Amino acid sequence: MITIKHEGCILCVGCSSVCPVNALEVVGTRMKFYPERCIDCGLCVKVCPANVITLHKGIKNAKDIPKEE
Amino acid sequence: MDHDVIVIGGGPAGSTFARIAAGAGMDVLVVDKRKELGEPVRCGEGLGRLEVVKEGLDLPRQCYATEIEGAKVIAPNGKSIVWANDDTKGWVLERKIFDKWLCELAVEKGAKVRTYTRAFEILKDDKGKPNGVKVSHGGREPYDIHAPLIVSAEGMESMMARQMGFKTVHALYDVDTCYQYEMKPYDHENLIELYFGNKMAPRGYVWIFPKNDKKANVGIGIGGNLTNGKKNGGIEGAAPKPLLDEFIKNNEQLKEASTLMDFGGVISVGAPINEFVKDNCMVIGTAAKQVDPIHGGGIGLAMETAIIAAGVAVKAHGKKDYSKDVLFEYEKTWRKNLGSTIDKRLLLRKVMEKISDDDLNHAVGAITESDLAQLMDGKFAGPVAKVLAGRPQMLGVLRALMS
Repeated sequence: MITIKHEGCILCVGCSSVCPVNALEVVGTRMKFYPERCIDCGLCVKVCPANVITLHKGIKNAKDIPKEE
Repeated sequence: MDHDVIVIGGGPAGSTFARIAAGAGMDVLVVDKRKELGEPVRCGEGLGRLEVVKEGLDLPRQCYATEIEGAKVIAPNGKSIVWANDDTKGWVLERKIFDKWLCELAVEKGAKVRTYTRAFEILKDDKGKPNGVKVSHGGREPYDIHAPLIVSAEGMESMMARQMGFKTVHALYDVDTCYQYEMKPYDHENLIELYFGNKMAPRGYVWIFPKNDKKANVGIGIGGNLTNGKKNGGIEGAAPKPLLDEFIKNNEQLKEASTLMDFGGVISVGAPINEFVKDNCMVIGTAAKQVDPIHGGGIGLAMETAIIAAGVAVKAHGKKDYSKDVLFEYEKTWRKNLGSTIDKRLLLRKVMEKISDDDLNHAVGAITESDLAQLMDGKFAGPVAKVLAGRPQMLGVLRALMS
């Protein structure tokens, strides 16, 4: 799954435009992420112009992300 | 059925479509998920004058920041070439005001517009053909709206187009990732400045779009496949924001300037999608990747496309037949008129990404303003011959591309 630092996000929807599984979408004034759809491909990380997306490979649940990351 | 057509997205494509369709008597509903149209700004805001003249629109003064005369292309060694004539005139827009104005024109023709209304599901009939959308207003209880024709004018995101079966997902290679500041003060000559250099902006360029009162949009676009990391052919440290900051640090004027706005986006620089219509639905504008692969501009194309598509929709409405066969006239006309230009630009983009900084320096030194115009027009023979005369080793690059 991925995490997004929403504070630096400029809502450009670049991530949704490259996401092959529709796991990212603007809702209101925030990017919404659907972790159950994510396939860990990392394309959103590469394309993000604001560099606010982090990939946590193999992790399915936000609770399992190590604290130091 | 609640309406004759539902348009998803109230940008330049959606609003123009709505204006023409409503003007011809169709009952049009535009839904846009944003609270305010034109927000957030995601683009360089440039628009060529010809495109609007073709439309017969008179752009009100408040819709643009400044008029521009043309463009200046700057090679890695600082040498530049100015391209300014009647064909290159245009505007740097104020997108927030421009988008709203275009939408108001549609409303004046009788279209209905609903902002903060997010379409999140395409409704389909028992044969699997789209016949409506499920929407939510500001996250409230969802409801259904039905129409025999659904038009996706959603821009880069294009989530509903995907639900209708269009292949609108972008490949990294076919996008540029961009970061941009509005800055002040910057003394400009009312020219769009484009700085090329493989180190400065890998497979892209830095642009400075002049605005009023010594303001300018200063932005960078780089190849989406080249960013952040060595894997998959990326370049270490290549990311739009740090590269743009580096450019600004090295620019005599800009290094002292303030930033007034941060914005950015991802631009499609690839080919349009393989089909624009299916039964009961159409995709127009950036959602269909109808974007110029050289400069990434989509506003003018979106409006031209919307006019073609709306004309066909009006015919379909007259026949009460929204089948793919009838709607296909839009795709056919588009590919014949606009598509061939895009194809040539795509080839030019592919040539440009292969050439080195040295070659670029040479090319800018060798060609003239009219050569540049020919290149953009898809007439490669003359200018290419000139460039090759001084640098025959570039022929290899061209051969590889043509084969």
